[in-house]
Amino acid sequence: MEFKPRNYNAQKEAHALPLVRTDSHPLSAPPSHHRQVDVVDHEHNDFFDPLRGLADNATNCREDVQELESTSSEASSQLPTREWMSFKRFLMQKFPVSKMVSISSMSNVIMKGVKVAEKSLTSTHLEELEDPEKCAEDGVKVVTRQEYISRLHELKDEINRAWRANDRVTSLKLAIKVARLLMDTSVLHFYPTLFVLSMDIMDMLGDMVWERIKWKAEFAEDGTRLFSLPENFQASDICSDAKETCNNWFCKIGSICELLPRIYLELALLPCWRFLVDQPEDNLQRLVMMMRGLSDPLASAYCRLYMAHCAQKLPRSDTGYLVQCVNDINIQLMRIMSAKEMTRRNSTDNKRLLFTLMEPTIEYIMKIIFKDASKSQVSNVLVELGSRRNQVELFGSLQCISMVLHHLLKELPAEVVTSNAMEILHIIECSNDYSSDQCLNYRLLGLRLSERRSQMDIIHDVVDKVIQVLSQNSSLDEYLKVVDAYVDIVLQNQMDNHLNTILGGILNRACNKAVAEDELASLQTILMKLLNHFKGLEDVFALNHFLEILDIMHGSSRSFVNMHILNLATRNSSISDPTTIQLLFEISQALHDDLDFVNAKDDDNQPARLISRFVHMVDYGSELERHLTFLVECRGAFGNLNELKETLVHSSNCLAIKALKDAKKHLSFIKSCIAFGEVTLPSISAQIKQLNLYLETAEVALVCGLVSHSDGLIDSAISCLLSLDFVDGSRTSTDIEGILSAIRKLFCLLIMVPGNPEQGVTYFANNILALVNSSSWMTPAMRTRIFYTTLTLTATLSQNKLPYHAVHGQIFGNDLLFFGDSSYLHELVSLSEFVLQNLVDSIQKEPSPAARGCIALEACNCIASSFVVSPEISQICSELIETAKSCLSASDKYLQSTIKFLDKNLRAPVVAVSSISV
Amino acid sequence: MSIELRLSRASRIYRPSEPLEGKIIVKSPSSISHYGIRLTLNGSVNLQVRGGSAGVIESFYGVLKPIPILKKSIEVRPSGKIGPGTAEIPFSMILRQPGEDNLERFYETFHGANISIQYLVSVDIMRGYLHKTISTTVEFIVESDAADLFERPVSPEMVIFYITQDTQRHPLLAELKSGGFRVTGKMSTQFSLSDPITGELTVEASALPICSIDIHLLRVESVLLGEKIVTETSLIQTTQIADGDVCHNLTLPIYVILPRLLTCPTILPGPFSIEFKACIVISFQSELSKLHSKSDPTSPRLWRWKLCHLNWFGQDRLIRTETTVTKMKMCI
Repeated sequence: MEFKPRNYNAQKEAHALPLVRTDSHPLSAPPSHHRQVDVVDHEHNDFFDPLRGLADNATNCREDVQELESTSSEASSQLPTREWMSFKRFLMQKFPVSKMVSISSMSNVIMKGVKVAEKSLTSTHLEELEDPEKCAEDGVKVVTRQEYISRLHELKDEINRAWRANDRVTSLKLAIKVARLLMDTSVLHFYPTLFVLSMDIMDMLGDMVWERIKWKAEFAEDGTRLFSLPENFQASDICSDAKETCNNWFCKIGSICELLPRIYLELALLPCWRFLVDQPEDNLQRLVMMMRGLSDPLASAYCRLYMAHCAQKLPRSDTGYLVQCVNDINIQLMRIMSAKEMTRRNSTDNKRLLFTLMEPTIEYIMKIIFKDASKSQVSNVLVELGSRRNQVELFGSLQCISMVLHHLLKELPAEVVTSNAMEILHIIECSNDYSSDQCLNYRLLGLRLSERRSQMDIIHDVVDKVIQVLSQNSSLDEYLKVVDAYVDIVLQNQMDNHLNTILGGILNRACNKAVAEDELASLQTILMKLLNHFKGLEDVFALNHFLEILDIMHGSSRSFVNMHILNLATRNSSISDPTTIQLLFEISQALHDDLDFVNAKDDDNQPARLISRFVHMVDYGSELERHLTFLVECRGAFGNLNELKETLVHSSNCLAIKALKDAKKHLSFIKSCIAFGEVTLPSISAQIKQLNLYLETAEVALVCGLVSHSDGLIDSAISCLLSLDFVDGSRTSTDIEGILSAIRKLFCLLIMVPGNPEQGVTYFANNILALVNSSSWMTPAMRTRIFYTTLTLTATLSQNKLPYHAVHGQIFGNDLLFFGDSSYLHELVSLSEFVLQNLVDSIQKEPSPAARGCIALEACNCIASSFVVSPEISQICSELIETAKSCLSASDKYLQSTIKFLDKNLRAPVVAVSSISV
Repeated sequence: MSIELRLSRASRIYRPSEPLEGKIIVKSPSSISHYGIRLTLNGSVNLQVRGGSAGVIESFYGVLKPIPILKKSIEVRPSGKIGPGTAEIPFSMILRQPGEDNLERFYETFHGANISIQYLVSVDIMRGYLHKTISTTVEFIVESDAADLFERPVSPEMVIFYITQDTQRHPLLAELKSGGFRVTGKMSTQFSLSDPITGELTVEASALPICSIDIHLLRVESVLLGEKIVTETSLIQTTQIADGDVCHNLTLPIYVILPRLLTCPTILPGPFSIEFKACIVISFQSELSKLHSKSDPTSPRLWRWKLCHLNWFGQDRLIRTETTVTKMKMCI
């Protein structure tokens, strides 16, 4: 056997593609007219631009929605309905109910079901009047929540059934019973749920009555359609018969003796007023007044909520009645708060609970008031609310209930807030009661103010005032909540002195206590705002108290802020300021200490990635040794981060190369860099990464002239390969590819490595081959590939001039070291012979025919280009071709070109072999 | 064989000046020969005195002689034959001829406890002595003509009231007597039946928390019985306007829709009279009320009330009942 001599330079020139100058850069932006064409194309051709595609879909969706809305006959009522639905869901979820609900005998409809013979309303009520406490005496019964709800559903079904059976009186009676349930507010937490379920029933009844009267107006008695009512019909369009029926409904409802059910049912039928009068809105005013008769704050608040909902079904509705509502609520709440704590029901805790239960109703009513309100309407509303305030002062009581104020402030248009900021601040100051925290109102004002830019002087006044008020508040939690809202304003307006005060204030309040969970959350947002505001991290670090505040934080919020800081820091190209590096290092350390290594072992470990990125970004410039020290510190500090170790090895390798480029005097430094790598490498647990890093470090060592280090590292790489052990199933094709390419890379490296005469020049190659034969996890295809790569290696090493050398001047390649040495050549040949023997066997072991054919061809090409033609070689080649032919189709291009290649090189022997085989 | 009277209006409401129209529907498998089909209108005020307020002797007499309002009869068909199957015979009858001298004023239909004012239409098919006369009766409802109303013009009237511990004649709880209360307001006393009772009420002060404020609507029926006037007052509707201890100094509206089937225009004294009253009942929450059970008649009454007379006049007023005399319903 004889290696084919090759002239690499000549081959390179022969195979190099001719270079042609071009006028434009291939990646530069194309001229504009091209782009236009592109856009047009995108809409038609099958190219799918994911981003553009989404946008297209979105517009389509929007069109769909618009279409839906425009086609539906009740477009105007659809949106409020959807809003109402989501509000109902919110109500049910906001107040989770314990399993049991205690109910008074008032709700006997729930307990006993429907009684067939109902006592007349009057007589029942008279009994109650005689003895109003009878209900309470009858004892509190307890049902499960689920029973209560299912009973309500049953009632709904019963109402429906009765209606379908034309027994509308029964439907009405049942609906009244449902409405009567709402009189019992002792269920407290269950009340919102009860309200929502009952309102479904009320709405259903209202719709049914509406449909019935509309039908009466549109159809004759025998069912022929007379005409269809337009959407905006007048009362005069309705025939007297329909009006009669409608009027009868209102009379029926009017005869309900209890106030609350009467109001609820009239609200349910509110739209039906349109059949009778052209100004159905007038009734709202009366209903608002009637609701004043409901002394129970919870019942009346929810009743008002239902009114706000029902009034939206009317075509025009002025919000004046709602403003009246809010005023009434205000008065009612003040009365509750001024009441002495006589009974258990009046205790402050109970009141607080009451306020939380009432809050959604106030919120919803405010929302409706300011929905689509014009500027003049807004000021009208404010005037009307204000006039009430005067009367309140007359009572010598508080000015505005802070909970009401809170929701008012929430819904006010931003421009009104900014132009009246000082007045609002004054009202907030005056409304300090326990319906909601005063600090929440301060906070809300801040948030609303930061929605839009406002005049500097107002802002200054407001912030001055707020900071002054805050300075008397010693609670960290409240301080943080308020400050959080004003940080943006302070930052935008460059009120540096206030910023200092705020940060100092936080520190003062926090330093002597453990910071609680929600305080941490506020702190987190404040710090985030600071971080996002300033351009450079250095500016933030330079702020007074910033670092101290960061220190008092703990837990996940702290990690979150730390991660954000690291994220900001690593956004730029490099970090070179030593103090910043030091601070970031400490931050990383804190982050690292907080990491939960039990739970966060996976790859998407964000903090670990950020720390590694930070370490990677660090650049000490020419102070290489300082940098290396830093790396050593990092290794000590972040021992748990695998990812970081890889970064460390990369960085130390980089340092070594940098030093090499610098000058020779750094040899000892380079040695310490390589040594650092050698020490760090064994602790990397990901084997393939470790393998690649060994090879990288070995190459660096070789380039720097440290042959013994390089040999050691290659040894380590091979032993690393040896220790590779895949549990069945954990071996993926990418892993296999990775290992294969690492081995090939090793072979490439071996070309540069000077052979050691004592161990034999093929020492490393032999080791690898031993590994190949002993490893059970290796596939036949992989084995084959390693074999023919070995052939290529030996063929290359046999050349008189190697294709490339180590850059370092003091390292000589094998071509110089063993020039003309016959034992060297002999060693290579014997290795090749050994490999060739194994090669054919391993190809036959490959189970998949397609893969077998392919590797046979690969091997064949390799052999043909590595060796001089001899009968022995020709025979192996033709055997391989036969294998390939049996596995691949004759038209396979690779097969054809390989045969052509062989024909050119080994024509005669192939014929000979074929005649022998005949 | 069946006979049915179907009036032209489903509501059966007619004014005295309007003709009563409708159809007589006769269904028969065979042909019927008859001596004439007669339609009769009958309107009367029926008075009765039931125990309680009347004396023993009066109650013995029971029903008093009814006061006739209207009695008219016409022949719709002369004697002849009705063929087999369904036959429809239309009719039209004027209730009151202009200028005709009526027996009584056309009161509006009313069904009370002691007094009922009722109008009936009946049809008779006379078939000689051998066969039973076939007949059926339907009630129809009379509402007043606008022009036929009272001589006085109707103007809305308001009464202003105030209720304190001193305006009450019955015993009060000591704590209420000493602590005092004051409820003021106004209420309409004269209006059309189609309008609600309106007004307002304000709780200005109260020593005890209020439990409920209700408006009771009372019907006062008086019947002249010999030399005596027998009066019976009955509660016809209760409407709550305040539930629980309402805020003081807030004006609450009074808005009571009149129960359509239980009211009629006020009828001033004659052989009988029908009047209506409203009373405001304020009940207070008290520790005492929990101690006494309802059945104990000696316990102090905790609610205080004030009566004021209400008049209302039936202008464009609709009164309606259905065929059965005993039970009335509205179509909803």
